[in-house]
Amino acid sequence: MKKYLLSMGMIVPLMALAACGDDSSTEANGEEAAENFPENSLEVIVPYAEGGGTDLVARAFAENLQEELGESVSVSNREGGGGAVGMQAGANSSADGHSMTLVTVELLTLPHSGLAELSYEEDFKPVALLNEDSAAITVHADSDYETIEDFIDAADSGENLQIGNSGTGAIWHLAASALEQEIDGSFNHVPFDGAAPAVNNLLGGHIDAVSVSPAEVINQVENGDLRVLAVMADERVDALPDVPTLSETGIDLSIGTWRGITVPADTPDEVVDVLADAAATTAQSDDFIERIETLQLGYRYEDPAGFTELMNDQDALFGELIPSLDLN
Amino acid sequence: MNLWEGFLGLADPMILILLVTGVLLGVIIGSLPGLTATMGVALFLPVTFGMEAIPGLLLLIGIYFGSIYGGSIAAILLNTPGTPAAAATAMDGYAMTKQGEARTALNIAVIASGFGSIISVLMLIFLSPQLANIALNFSAPEMFGLALFGLSIISSIAGASLVKGLIAGVVGLLIATIGMDPMTSYPRYTFDQPVLLEGFNFIPIMIGLFAVSEAFIMAEDYFKDKGGPMKVAAKLLKTNWRLMPKLFPTMTKSSFLGSIIGIIPGAGADVAAFVSYNEAQRFAKKEDKALFGKGNPKGIAAAEAGNQGVTGGAMVPLLTLGIPGDAVAAVMLGAFVVQGIQPGPQIFQTSGELMYTLFAGMLVAAIVMVIIGLLGIRLFTKVLLVPKTLMITIILVLSTIGAFAINNNMFDVYVILGAGIIGYFMKKHGFPASPIVLALILGPMAESEFRRALTMSEGSLMIFATRPIAATLIALAILSLFTPLLVKFFKDRKN
Repeated sequence: MKKYLLSMGMIVPLMALAACGDDSSTEANGEEAAENFPENSLEVIVPYAEGGGTDLVARAFAENLQEELGESVSVSNREGGGGAVGMQAGANSSADGHSMTLVTVELLTLPHSGLAELSYEEDFKPVALLNEDSAAITVHADSDYETIEDFIDAADSGENLQIGNSGTGAIWHLAASALEQEIDGSFNHVPFDGAAPAVNNLLGGHIDAVSVSPAEVINQVENGDLRVLAVMADERVDALPDVPTLSETGIDLSIGTWRGITVPADTPDEVVDVLADAAATTAQSDDFIERIETLQLGYRYEDPAGFTELMNDQDALFGELIPSLDLN
Repeated sequence: MNLWEGFLGLADPMILILLVTGVLLGVIIGSLPGLTATMGVALFLPVTFGMEAIPGLLLLIGIYFGSIYGGSIAAILLNTPGTPAAAATAMDGYAMTKQGEARTALNIAVIASGFGSIISVLMLIFLSPQLANIALNFSAPEMFGLALFGLSIISSIAGASLVKGLIAGVVGLLIATIGMDPMTSYPRYTFDQPVLLEGFNFIPIMIGLFAVSEAFIMAEDYFKDKGGPMKVAAKLLKTNWRLMPKLFPTMTKSSFLGSIIGIIPGAGADVAAFVSYNEAQRFAKKEDKALFGKGNPKGIAAAEAGNQGVTGGAMVPLLTLGIPGDAVAAVMLGAFVVQGIQPGPQIFQTSGELMYTLFAGMLVAAIVMVIIGLLGIRLFTKVLLVPKTLMITIILVLSTIGAFAINNNMFDVYVILGAGIIGYFMKKHGFPASPIVLALILGPMAESEFRRALTMSEGSLMIFATRPIAATLIALAILSLFTPLLVKFFKDRKN
């Protein structure tokens, strides 16, 4: 019996974490709400599992925001549907600024793939962009492809390169497909259940390359087992200063994942402003930046305007790319 | 003697307190249905951010070790596997409890678990670089071979009726097809419901089939048999210690098997438990073989040593290649990175001292786990003295909370209720639940790895024949499926 009492003690905090912030309320008087904000504890909904990269970003942000606002900020994980379940729950949560949702690039890709009925414009208001990780083309250290040009030449000459990704329709598959279209080549896309098994297959020499983020290969790159040929970003990545961007080789392609904080679209603008100011201070604090860097993730902050611009650009990109891939 | 220095590194009361706390937390998390080892480690990961590397990592390792073992407690006492890895333990464990042998069963489970941890950690310490290559040799065709080999186990866990076992297995495989197609991400049988996109999570189904249906059966017994025993178990015999020496060969074999499966990326403690169980049964003598599923101590020893062997095994590719072998190892990778430790071939050069302290900590964690388990048995078995009415309530409440905690989603709660009702009728009509769970674990793996292999070979089936490991595993799977039939055929002809 004692064991069960003990267990119940464990369960209660879990329940409390799970129970908060489910009901949706309508918009309040904006100015008044903004003056009193935050009235009580806040919540960040994370559409992915505990312990993953997205979860760790959310927890780092929540911890720092808590100090900034003086109210507790909890994180609740709502997995499922490749992020669709959690983002849908976030869109339906109370629109008073107390419930935030950590959204990822899947907010744009899932609707275009027909896997979720979400709209970044109609369901959410952006608060802050926290991170960005570009796709990278990585090969085995023993590979014949020394540079990205070698790699593209091989694809051009009709070689059927096997490129591992973390799942069909996932961002790394879209990145490799976009490159395939740009160079007019033909890749053999091999989808894995997540990035780790793809990297493992590359290490074992079973595939030619992977198109996942630098963070997911950096250990093996620094150990000398893998080699990054290029990153699909506008600028070189801090962690890999010697690796060229695709645009340096004349291919104008910038694609990757990002993570940012949003609130439901009905949240009053005045409240969003207060929250965005607090989020800006938090996201630009040394503590937060350091945490993102220890996690080997790419740091990029944007304010609501910059975040909106990023989503507009990328939505246009995916709106063209995804239908052309004929995924379904 | 680097390992000796490692032990000296543990001589700090704070570290030992954290280690014991970790194992205790793990045992509690593991024994609760729905709270898995992965969830336990992930929940405490942020707690370790502010700690030094050794105490932080050992807290998580304690939770990992403890929770894999903890799953067996509820499996044995209540037929309610606390973690998927303990589903194989429930088969013989609960049968022993019904025979009054709960104490013996729990003692076997904890000793076998300790054995599995220690052997796998020793393999990790002394053979890591050599073993790491196993992980690299496993690509899609080999993984398919392993999954198929695992599925062939259905014939040995089917229980009394092979046909009913196979039916349950096929139903499990069908349920496993729900959700996004693993290769094309096309939604299958999802009826536009986002919750179904990733398919049915097998943990709520397992909780429903085992725990909730058991609660229904208890309720029925209570109403039918008012004069009968109010307690969950009618009798509680003393531990039969003389049994232990006979189990050592099974434990040793299963520990090695579990370690190897742990090294293979993508196959975790649940697969290891079922495979070890199957191998113990395959090589058992005739009379002994018939006892599997009916309370054979070897069944518990094999399953527990096997699933615990994964703990050290999963660390091999994690530490030497930076590749997580299973879901728990993936969270552990995060813990290493946050501490500024970079897993990879150079880890022994760059963080050698720390590694040996960690290894020593793992061995101590295994011993702490055995001590906690042995001391706790008197306490655990008290559960059996709880009146049925109270027990039914506790099982249902814990199952509901556990199901909800998986994704913070009410849908999983409905799943345990549905699976509970189905499980009740399955029990009434002699259909075993384990093949469904096994099929849900291995079905998606078999399908996606088969199709991934074909993608890699651009459609040629020869990829399965030309790669030695894949070919061997597939041949073994076919053999183990058809051997019982062939043996029967030749016997019939003789007569």
